Amino acid sequence: MEKISVVIDGRTFEAEKDTCVLEVARRNGIYIPSLCYNSEVTSSGGSCRVCLVEAHQGGRMRLVTSCNYPVRKGLEVKTDTPLVHRIRRGVLELLLARVPDSEVIREMAAAEGVTEVRFRKDEGENERYKCIACALCVNVCAEVVGVHAIAMVERGADKKPATPYNKPSDVCIGCGACAYACPTGAIELKEKDGVRRIWHKDFKMVRCSVCGTPYIPEAQVDWIVSKTGKDRSFFDKCPDHRF
Amino acid sequence: MGVINSIEQLEEYRRELAATAKPDLPTVLVCFGTGCQANGSRLVANAFMEIIKEQGLQVDVNIGIKTTGCHGYCENGPLVALRPQDILYLKVKPEDVPEIVEESVKGGRIVERLVYRDKVTDEIVPRYSEIPFYKHQLRIALRHIGTIDPTSIDDYILAGGYAGLAKALRMEPEDIISEVERSGLRGRGGAGFPTGTKWRSCAAVDSDVRYVMCNGDEGDPGAFMDRSIMEGDPHAVIEGMIIGAYAVGSRQGYIYVRDEYPLAIRNLTTAIEAAREKGLLGENILGTGFSFDIKISRGGGAFVCGESSALMRSVEGNVGEPRAKYIRSVERGLYNKPTVLNNVETWANVPEIILKGAEWYASMGTEGSKGTKVFSLVGKVNNTGLVEVPMGISIRELVENIGGGVLGGKKFKAVQTGGPSGGCIPERLADLPIDFDSLTEAGSMMGSGGIIVMDEDTCMVDVAKYFTGFLVEESCGKCTPCRDGLPRIYDLLTEVTEGRGREEHLDMLEELCDLLTWGALCGLGTSAANPVLSTVKYFRDEYEAHIRDKKCPAGVCKALITYSIDPEACTGCRLCAKNCPQNCITGKRKEAHVIDTSKCIKCGVCKDVCAFDAVRIS
Ligand SMILES: Cc1cc2nc3c(=O)[nH]c(=O)nc-3n(C[C@H](O)[C@H](O)[C@H](O)COP(=O)(O)O)c2cc1C
Ligand code: SF4
Ligand code: SF4
Ligand code: SF4
Ligand code: SF4
Ligand code: FES
Repeated sequence: MEKISVVIDGRTFEAEKDTCVLEVARRNGIYIPSLCYNSEVTSSGGSCRVCLVEAHQGGRMRLVTSCNYPVRKGLEVKTDTPLVHRIRRGVLELLLARVPDSEVIREMAAAEGVTEVRFRKDEGENERYKCIACALCVNVCAEVVGVHAIAMVERGADKKPATPYNKPSDVCIGCGACAYACPTGAIELKEKDGVRRIWHKDFKMVRCSVCGTPYIPEAQVDWIVSKTGKDRSFFDKCPDHRF
Repeated sequence: MGVINSIEQLEEYRRELAATAKPDLPTVLVCFGTGCQANGSRLVANAFMEIIKEQGLQVDVNIGIKTTGCHGYCENGPLVALRPQDILYLKVKPEDVPEIVEESVKGGRIVERLVYRDKVTDEIVPRYSEIPFYKHQLRIALRHIGTIDPTSIDDYILAGGYAGLAKALRMEPEDIISEVERSGLRGRGGAGFPTGTKWRSCAAVDSDVRYVMCNGDEGDPGAFMDRSIMEGDPHAVIEGMIIGAYAVGSRQGYIYVRDEYPLAIRNLTTAIEAAREKGLLGENILGTGFSFDIKISRGGGAFVCGESSALMRSVEGNVGEPRAKYIRSVERGLYNKPTVLNNVETWANVPEIILKGAEWYASMGTEGSKGTKVFSLVGKVNNTGLVEVPMGISIRELVENIGGGVLGGKKFKAVQTGGPSGGCIPERLADLPIDFDSLTEAGSMMGSGGIIVMDEDTCMVDVAKYFTGFLVEESCGKCTPCRDGLPRIYDLLTEVTEGRGREEHLDMLEELCDLLTWGALCGLGTSAANPVLSTVKYFRDEYEAHIRDKKCPAGVCKALITYSIDPEACTGCRLCAKNCPQNCITGKRKEAHVIDTSKCIKCGVCKDVCAFDAVRIS
């Protein structure tokens, strides 16, 4: 890949062409907040807008989402300007208005000095209680897990991730990757007596033959076996006792 | 003739058509545009056909009936135009047909009651070309609309169609791009990006596959110029696209049309098939070795689907949702291949530019905006419909000369331009030339080319709320500023219009607008603040009246107005009392009446029915 140099906050860094600005910044110790982006998920990002930075290129300045803005020759990025903070504060106030009870959002907002919401707060609607409609869960399920169990449905302020018709999905394997990836912990994953409940569906868990801990849904084992041809007995033990 | 195998053969074919066509044949043109059809133009056409058939036996008048696209003057449909008499009849009913045949077709006389009557001078204007609505127009993109049969490729060729393509195929692709660049043509889909520049960037990308696309989504509910072109002159779009494809080196094109436009889909499909049969689409076009074909892609119709990245996703079979365009679609567009996307009207201009040359096109319009633009003129104006005028005409000329002034002699207050996310421009700036840059500078935009005329009875806060409400519904919900910010702008506007506005609301509105403009993902969100920003800018006093004085100066916002009856003007006719749904108007016959404001629901019926203008709003 072609190496180019890019300037971020006055410092020059080498990076591969088309890497996103956020990655280059992070690798070099420059903090930019993010919510909807996950470096393992190429389809993620661009939605929450907390990572906006100034991109100066070709004599022009734009605010761009650093999580998916590609570095190219001649790019100069500024992450710490009055404009960046003004817009970030605005985004965070809106997110806080949407999910006033989310710890993650409260902390991120407080770090920008936003502790009060002047606008109407959303409340009550349990389903999107903490959900900021960032679609990371959907992207993880489709791209990383390779299952398309959930999708973003509806539009505008009602947009949310859901299984088809809000019914237990036929294809969900209960892996919980969506819940782990969710930046605000909005997806409920409960486990009790060797049964995991996620997205309105119960999954029987496989217990480790050594420690007895239920550690993976049977449906997930079935899926991995069918996809990779791995031997089923491999899943008899949990990762801690496998080798 | 079947396949046309060369450019020479095309010209020969055109000559053959001209030789067999009988231009002197009297023609009755019945508009078959969607508006006119809805008003019953089919029945009118049938009536003509019957009479002509009946009388054709004894009377020596030959009439070729054509079903045509739209004349743009839809409010007055069904429209009937007579050639060569150059007469235009409005609102024609089947009952009128015998008289038209007797008087005009056979007798060459004018049926006065059916022609245009100037609303101010009351003069009659029978000649199509003299009607003010048409007189000030300059039709390039709409050149064939209403004059040719859109389902006949022969009609199109006879009218000079595909001559632009023939010329283009003799040019180097590079020279075509230069020609388009020099013409100054800018995209008619809203953003006004220079078309030639777009083509050049696409052609420059190294790739074996390239696509050209036509944006026929037309999501603005008030605009219908693209529909009119697709329905009334589909070959113009197709010819433009073939030229574009040849210029950038593309073999496959797509036209994206919304499902709500079935006639456009039908006429485009017919046109594509006819062009294939003639060898103008498909392999080895006109024997030049160049191959290109077009598919129609039907869209679900959300407003945001017209946005380029959402449109491409939709054509790929995914949910039509915008994505970041940090890598431009000329580089990575449809299926990640270099793609040129242009608007319907943009494409329709291309053949004329190639045929008549860049200098011809650039001689019209303003410094930064060349050529003409089609507008859909609606609202409180006497003449409404589609109008094509040179760029740079002033708002006032458009409203006064073409629109025939504001309805009912009311005061002209503002125009809203550019579709739902456009802005409002006040009357005091009405001498502003209409072009891309002036409109943007004034806080509005060219957008879809919609122009809504507003009179003194319009409340600008209410207008801002109306358009914001539309955008709240159309926000796809992908990004935070638009998804969660727009509903809060709407909340604040609701507070203001319902009398709960506070001083700080104006600042909060401006903050949210700033956030949208800088922070939203796609053009819907980044332009969504225009309705609020432009009205706050030009009509701040109206906002302040709502907030400070709890008054709606235009008398629109129900929470802020009261109805009363002026005892001086009231004659005691009882009409209002009889019509009031609340029964809250009392008074004896021939004595002044009184409204019980505690029961009044402010429906306005009393004001509408009172013949003495005695009902007041304050
Ligand atoms: C929300 C939104 C809706 C749009 N709708 C349309 C549309 O209906 N038709 C259209 O031609 N362009 C529309 N556009 C503009 C397109 O994104 C694109 O700029 C245009 O089709 C390019 O063609 P042009 O350069 O010929 O104008 C829309 C843009 C946005 C942001
Ligand atoms: S738990 Fe179900 S929805 Fe979530 S990532 Fe796994 S398969 Fe997808
Ligand atoms: S559940 Fe979590 S990951 Fe999924 S959209 Fe909501 S906030 Fe994003
Ligand atoms: S600006 Fe609005 S329409 Fe555009 S991506 Fe964001 S939420 Fe969707
Ligand atoms: S506005 Fe309507 S309800 Fe009120 S007095 Fe007039 S007619 Fe009656
Ligand atoms: S992290 Fe970049 S937009 Fe969400």
